[in-house]
Amino acid sequence: MTSLLHLAEHRVQVVALAFMAVVYLLRVVWLFRFPRARDRQPPTGRPRTNAAKGAWYSMAAIGMPWSMETTRTRPGLYAQFVAFHLAVAANIVLSFVIPYAPGLLQSLALTRLLQVVIGAGFVVGVIRMVRRVRDPVVRRISTPDDIFSLGLLTVWFLAGVAAAPNSVAGGELHLVVYFLLTAFFLIYVPFSKISHYLYYPFTRYWLGRTLGYRGVFPIEHVGGSTTDRLGTPSPRAIAADLAQGPS
Amino acid sequence: MSRVEPSHKVAKVLERLPQHLTRQIVGSLVACVHCGLCTDACHYVLTNPDDPTYAPAYKADRIRRIFKRHHDWAGRVLPWWVGAAAIRTDEELEELKDIAFGKCTNCRRCTINCPMGVDFGTVNRMVRGLLVSVGVMPEGVAVVSKDQWEIGNQMGVLKEDYLETLEWLSDELEEEFGDPAARIPVDKPDCNIVYTINPREVKYDPRTISDAARIFYAAGESWTMPSEGWDMTNFGLFSGDDALGGVVAHRVYEQVRALRGRKLVMSECGHGYRSTRCEGPNWAGEDIEFDMESSVITMLRYLREGRIKVDPSKNASSYTFHDSCNNARSCGLYEEPRELLQAVAGDVREMYPNRAENYCCTGGGGAMSMSEYAPRRLKSAKVKADQLTATGAKFVVTSCHNCVDGLTDLIKHYKLDMKVTELVNLVAQALVMPKRPA
Repeated sequence: MTSLLHLAEHRVQVVALAFMAVVYLLRVVWLFRFPRARDRQPPTGRPRTNAAKGAWYSMAAIGMPWSMETTRTRPGLYAQFVAFHLAVAANIVLSFVIPYAPGLLQSLALTRLLQVVIGAGFVVGVIRMVRRVRDPVVRRISTPDDIFSLGLLTVWFLAGVAAAPNSVAGGELHLVVYFLLTAFFLIYVPFSKISHYLYYPFTRYWLGRTLGYRGVFPIEHVGGSTTDRLGTPSPRAIAADLAQGPS
Repeated sequence: MSRVEPSHKVAKVLERLPQHLTRQIVGSLVACVHCGLCTDACHYVLTNPDDPTYAPAYKADRIRRIFKRHHDWAGRVLPWWVGAAAIRTDEELEELKDIAFGKCTNCRRCTINCPMGVDFGTVNRMVRGLLVSVGVMPEGVAVVSKDQWEIGNQMGVLKEDYLETLEWLSDELEEEFGDPAARIPVDKPDCNIVYTINPREVKYDPRTISDAARIFYAAGESWTMPSEGWDMTNFGLFSGDDALGGVVAHRVYEQVRALRGRKLVMSECGHGYRSTRCEGPNWAGEDIEFDMESSVITMLRYLREGRIKVDPSKNASSYTFHDSCNNARSCGLYEEPRELLQAVAGDVREMYPNRAENYCCTGGGGAMSMSEYAPRRLKSAKVKADQLTATGAKFVVTSCHNCVDGLTDLIKHYKLDMKVTELVNLVAQALVMPKRPA
C-alpha cells in the first residue's frame, strides 16, 4: 500500500467524517433555534390514534410503500428508492470495511453481494439522471446541486463496485479514487440536498405528531386508490378531455 | 452596474419572514429533495400536465429560494448552486401571489404524499400571510378579510339581518311544530350548546339553520345561538393572517364564555371546523376550557343515544360523500359523517380515493372568493368531476359550505346530473318527530 492510499483510506476519511459530524451538529442546532409550533387544542379525530402513533406511522412510512398514494401507485420508483439507498448504505459500510476489517472481503460472496447492491445503485443513479433530465417537472425543479449530487453518488457507486474486492493487483488507483470520492462526499453532503436524511426524522416526526394528534395519521385506505377503483384517466387523457370542453 | 435595492414591499416581506419561521416550516423549506413525487398528488397538475409550474415542488421552490437566499448557509454562499435567489421587485411578489393564491388551494394532498414530510400547504399559507401583510392579495381576499375584521363575519352580514333571519326562521318553526318552544334561542345563557354557523347560511342557505334547529328541537337539546361572534368561519386560515385568525376565533370563544355555554358546536364547515376547533386556540394564544365539536358529531351522538329517530327511506335517492380537505386531511373527521350518512340515507356509494386521500372540491383555500382564478379552478375540477361521475350517485353530500359552492360550480360547469346537499339537510329530512305532550 502506498502512502497516498493509506492517507486516503485513513486520515482523510477521519478528517472528512469529523468535519461532516461537526457540520451536521451545527445544522441540527440551527434547525432547533427556530421556535416550535404548538398545538393548544384538544386532539381531534379518531380516538384510537394519537400524536405518538402518528409520529411512528409517519417515520415508518419509508418502509411502507402502501401508506402513500405516490409510492403505492408507482412501485417502480419505490423500488428505485430502495435500491439507491441500500447502495448508499453498502458503499458507506465498504468505506469502513476496507481500512478497518479488510479480512471480511476475503469472502467472495460478501464482495459480490456488495458489488451487486452498489452496482444496482449505480444503475438506478443513471436511471434517475435520465428522469431528472427528461421529466419536464423534475427538470424544471432541479438545481445544479441536484444534478451534481446525483452524479457524484452515481460515480461513487461505480468506484465502490471497483473497490469492493480491495485488490491492488492491477494497481491502486481505483481505491485511491474511491476513498477520495468518499471523503469529498462526506465533506460535500452537509451543504447539499444529500443532507435530506438528516432532516427526514425531524420533518416526518413533526408532521406525524401533528396529524396523529388530529386523527389523520395513520391514514385509512378504504377501497383502494384512485387508480385501483376509479380508474382516473392519466394526466394526458384529462388534458385531452379538457381540450374538448365540458362534456 | 448598481445593485437593485428591494422594493419597500419586498423589504417588509423579508423583514417579516423570520417571524413566521417555526421549526416545522423550516423543516419543510430545507428537506425537499426535488424527487417530484408530489406532482401527481395535485389536482392542478393532473389537469395541467404540460405545465411544470403547477407542480407542488416547483411552487414550493419559488418560496424556498427566498428562504435559502436569506437564511440558509449554502444559499447565502452559492445561491445559484442550490436554487436560492433574492427577490427585489413588486412584480416578483405578484408572481408569488399568483402561485400562493391562484395555483394552490392549500388542500395538503401533496403534504400527505411527500416522502420527506414536506408540508407545502402550511408553507403556502405562510406565504399568503406575508403577501397579505403588504397588501398583495386577490381583491376577493381583501374584501372578505375586511368584512371579517370590521363587521365580524366574512360575508358582511349585519347583526340586524342575522337576527331578523333567525326571527323568521323561528316563526316558521313555531308554526310547523305548533309549539312556541320550537324557536331558535338567541343569547340564552347556561345552555349545553352554543351553536355557531357559516354566514353563508344566513345569506344563501337559511334552510341549514332551520334544519339544525329541527334536530336540536327533536333531540330536546338546550341550545342557543349568540347574537355576536356567531361566525365560526375564519378567513385567517385562507389569507394566512394569523392576527385575523386569532381575533375571529377569540370572538367566538368569548361568546361561549359570556353565555356560560358548556359546548361550542360548529355547523358543517370544513375550514370553520379546522379554524375554530384546531387552529384558533393557537392563533388566539388561548387555552380553551370548554368542549368544541362539529355538528356532525353532535347529530351522530343524538342518533347513538336515541335522542332522535330517523327513517332513511325518506332519503331515497343515491348519495356519495365528499370529504372536505380541512375536515378529513387536517382534522381526521371522516368516519363520523359516513356513519351518519349511512344511518339517514339508503343508497350510499363511496367515491375513490376518499377520506384523507380525497381530492379537493377545488373551492378550498378561499378559492371561491378569488374570481380571477375561476377558469383555473374549474379546469382543475375535472378530477373531482370524474370522481363524482364514477359513483353514479344523484347527490353528493358534504360537510362543508365551501365545498357546497365548489361542487355546485363544477357540477354546473361539467353538466353533471347531480345535486349537492349537506348532512344536516338529510338528517332533518329523515327525522321522525317525537310526539310531544299537548
